Amino acid sequence: MSSICDETYHLGEFEPRPDDDTIICRCEEITRGEIRRAIHDGMYTINEVKRFLRVGMGLCQGQSCIKIVRGIIAEELGIPMSEVNVITARSPVRPVPMGVYGNDTFDPKFLGGDEDE
Amino acid sequence: MKRYDLVVIGAGPSGLSAAIEAASHGLNTIVFDENARPGGQLFKQIHKFFGSKEHKAKIRGIDIGAKLVAEAEEVGAKVVQNATVMGIFPHKDISVMIDGEVYTCKADNIIVATGASENTLAFPGWTLPGVMGAGSAQTQMNLYGVMPGQRILMMGSGNVGLVVGMQLKQVGCELVAVVEAAPRIGGYGVHAAKLARTGVPFYLKHTILRAEGEDHVRKAVIAEVGDDWKPIPGTEKEFDVDTICLAVGLSPMYQLAMTAGCKLVDEPINGGVHPEVDEYGATSVPGVFCTGDLICIEEASSAMVKGRIAGAAAARRAGYLTEEEHAAIHKKYKDSLDQLRQGMFSGKNKGNPNIKTTAEGIPLSDSLLTHGYLKEEEVRNFPGYSHQAGGFHPVVECTQNIPCNPCQDVCPKHCITVGDQITALPTVHPEIECINCGMCVSSCPGQAIFLINEDFEPGYSAIALAYEFLPRPEKGDKGTALDRSGQPVCDAEVVDVRAAKAFDRTVVLTMKVPAEMVNKARFFVPKEAKAE
Amino acid sequence: MNKTSDVIVIGAGVVGCSAAYYLAKAGLKVTVLERREIAFGASGRNGTGARQSGRDNRELPLAMFGVQNIWPTLGEELGEDIEYVQNGNMRMGKTEKDLAALQEIVAANRELGLDIRLLTDIKDIRELLPMVADDVICATWCPTDGHANPMRTTLALYKKARALGAKFITNIKVLKLEKVAGQLRRVYTDDGVFEADRVILCAGYGSRKIMRTVGLDVPMLPQLTEAFITEPIPAVTEKYLCAADGSFYAQQQCNGTWLVGGDSNYEIYDANYPREVTFSFSAPRIARFFLEYMPTLAGVKVIRSWSGLLDMCWDGCPVISKVEEVPGLYIGCAFTGHGFGIGPAAGYVLAQMAMDEEPAADLSGLRYDRFRMPSH
Repeated sequence: MSSICDETYHLGEFEPRPDDDTIICRCEEITRGEIRRAIHDGMYTINEVKRFLRVGMGLCQGQSCIKIVRGIIAEELGIPMSEVNVITARSPVRPVPMGVYGNDTFDPKFLGGDEDE
Repeated sequence: MKRYDLVVIGAGPSGLSAAIEAASHGLNTIVFDENARPGGQLFKQIHKFFGSKEHKAKIRGIDIGAKLVAEAEEVGAKVVQNATVMGIFPHKDISVMIDGEVYTCKADNIIVATGASENTLAFPGWTLPGVMGAGSAQTQMNLYGVMPGQRILMMGSGNVGLVVGMQLKQVGCELVAVVEAAPRIGGYGVHAAKLARTGVPFYLKHTILRAEGEDHVRKAVIAEVGDDWKPIPGTEKEFDVDTICLAVGLSPMYQLAMTAGCKLVDEPINGGVHPEVDEYGATSVPGVFCTGDLICIEEASSAMVKGRIAGAAAARRAGYLTEEEHAAIHKKYKDSLDQLRQGMFSGKNKGNPNIKTTAEGIPLSDSLLTHGYLKEEEVRNFPGYSHQAGGFHPVVECTQNIPCNPCQDVCPKHCITVGDQITALPTVHPEIECINCGMCVSSCPGQAIFLINEDFEPGYSAIALAYEFLPRPEKGDKGTALDRSGQPVCDAEVVDVRAAKAFDRTVVLTMKVPAEMVNKARFFVPKEAKAE
Repeated sequence: MNKTSDVIVIGAGVVGCSAAYYLAKAGLKVTVLERREIAFGASGRNGTGARQSGRDNRELPLAMFGVQNIWPTLGEELGEDIEYVQNGNMRMGKTEKDLAALQEIVAANRELGLDIRLLTDIKDIRELLPMVADDVICATWCPTDGHANPMRTTLALYKKARALGAKFITNIKVLKLEKVAGQLRRVYTDDGVFEADRVILCAGYGSRKIMRTVGLDVPMLPQLTEAFITEPIPAVTEKYLCAADGSFYAQQQCNGTWLVGGDSNYEIYDANYPREVTFSFSAPRIARFFLEYMPTLAGVKVIRSWSGLLDMCWDGCPVISKVEEVPGLYIGCAFTGHGFGIGPAAGYVLAQMAMDEEPAADLSGLRYDRFRMPSH
């Protein structure tokens, strides 16, 4: 949990950096600069950054980018990365077609597989 | 609703080992795995593994996977492939997608063994096609028979980067460099040495600045980093490459365990955020255990033992083992795990710059740690070196304390010993006659053993080495011998090519070199191929 | 830290952030106290509807005020794209019971002048929503309804309020309120006492425990409910869709993903789970209900489900009210699962009342003490 609770705390002027246009979240196409800007605008926790920008909410559910996003937040706030949470993992942890998702069964084909084949 | 004594999620080395242990005690066990083939990451590991016999050392990863699956079936654990677990819910409901259906079942105990995923680096151009994880490159090569690219830059010198780098070379890619931000090579020295002797340069204290190219990677730009890990202007180096592989560490895939409500901790020594577990693998949720890379990024050998520990703990919790029985089993595995966790690459020692000598007190080779190869004069400092007139004798260039001892096991004459401490350096006993059987050469997962005959012919010496490239050279082939750094040093002629079944697809190639090169020449390049 | 301000807002959801924004904009010194983080509760988890149709007539005036006066310009005002889309709401039914429910809604909402129509010919429904299932027999259609991104809306309000000088303190727990000499003055927290003459309490179900410290109560229950989101797909419809029986609500967001939620009817029977838990059967049930109306979307992949806590009021309507017996206290809670659409407007009128202005919409049916009235 971020140790910074006073969200009026100011990080100082936002200073653009040459690598600001590097894409960090590929699923939602969010750049490093957008994330840094959001942090300077008061999004001090991973959830606030996520909810504001949709970072980590795409198809991969943050699998590839969240570690990097946590690093950016830690760097901007000047806190250790261990103080920045991960985003909450949600079911389904892999994409599932809605029609499959909606039809759960207690008696799947694979259990009685031999007769079927 | 169907209920199991134990549901294991993930059929990698730890998940399968957990299932084997639990099912062998009588638990009604099912394993769900999302891949088409069992074995987790093992099914794309074509190299031989480190460890000891009980950890299935010197066996190739793919074959370990197959052995584990067979064992699991033998003890009655059901392994279901293409089964994607979607989530773990209250009351240990588990939803799994199999073959276009979602199956919901219950478990009294759950062992989560979901492994780890590759870290990535976000540098300008990293989204260009051609930038990929080393694991993805490995999947392309070893599962689908596709070359990931022609000219490749490897980012990261941990064991993943080194092993995949070697495999890239084996399929015929050109590996232009291995780049590492740290001041030391992260993986085993013997893995690095394999690459170095083929001519691959290492750039330590370097990072990637950017990838360039319109529609695909055409160029990689790296630069040296200072002590603050920031690039130093003016040190940029460019490489014309079509592929950049990222081997910058693994992170536990904690997501599924998190859906079960397991408490997470962030411990860099274990690979970052992962479920908090006790010594049995038990999490904060009663009956939910975690094991394998999910709780600590390690080698497959450790993953298997950790799986055994969790499997035994689940068996205890399910009432299939008494407290005493469990205590005895646990102790056996705990001791085994402790053995594997010794040495300079164990979690507590890894990357520690203060480790300057081996456990035996011999200075570590700086050249090996920074350039990937031992200097000729350094080799003599280690107990694996031997020098002897007449006949073949082994020279073991194994100079770091890693948990591995197949050389001791396979030598029919006991010329090589490691001792009870599995991380000790191998010692060669020149007083015992070597019969040049080649078993040590082919079995060493580090390909660090050479059989030397200093007086092969007048003026010539012979060197037998492990060779895993195609096309397979033939007796009489001429070529060039390279030294440990990959520099050509002399002409060489193949005088023997052995491919016994016991060598498990490793060729033991013996080359003849001028006698003065006997301690220099360590690799053979056939005449047609050119050295890189 | 200075702990004295003109107004203290308890809760940094959409209502609290909105109130803080309008107060800060008027030049007042505002402190917002939040138990977790910005938009952690329902505002980070809800179903996006900026809807008037189907609301109880007691809250409809505020909803209509919001759609007419706040939603259309809010994004521009805040300098952020809050993804507000005003392209209508369609509530569909398949049974005679559904039809009767829709007829009742239309009759009631029309009394207050809302443009809402009942469609009973599948051809008319198809014209608006070509891919709808064959067995749909009726639908209400309200063209002025819409939807927006609740997370961006709430965080954009926060960002702007913060830029205007509002002070937000997160991870702080409000323990009790205290009157001093007949006037609400002190807010006790686990990090000291904050003081203000005006306090706006909008902390969802958590409001209940806090208001009890000054002898007030609103009859509400916490209820866990679930929603899920899909991968992005090409645009299908911008309309907000829902079922007459409440089994699902759904809409395609600006980024192409479908957000689908609903009431699986299980959760209310056990509120003792940790608040973020999801069940193996809830969101899949919602998917099943949704596909009964939109079968062509069966192949679209679900990528995440989650749950949130509703503050379900006894009579199904929120409390948005001045509390005369505790001078200085203003309450906005018990939104019963339809708070986001009126959230910014609720913050607006709460700010108005806290500044002693007449609220812009008729709130007479939303008083805190209505449950005690003989007529209730």
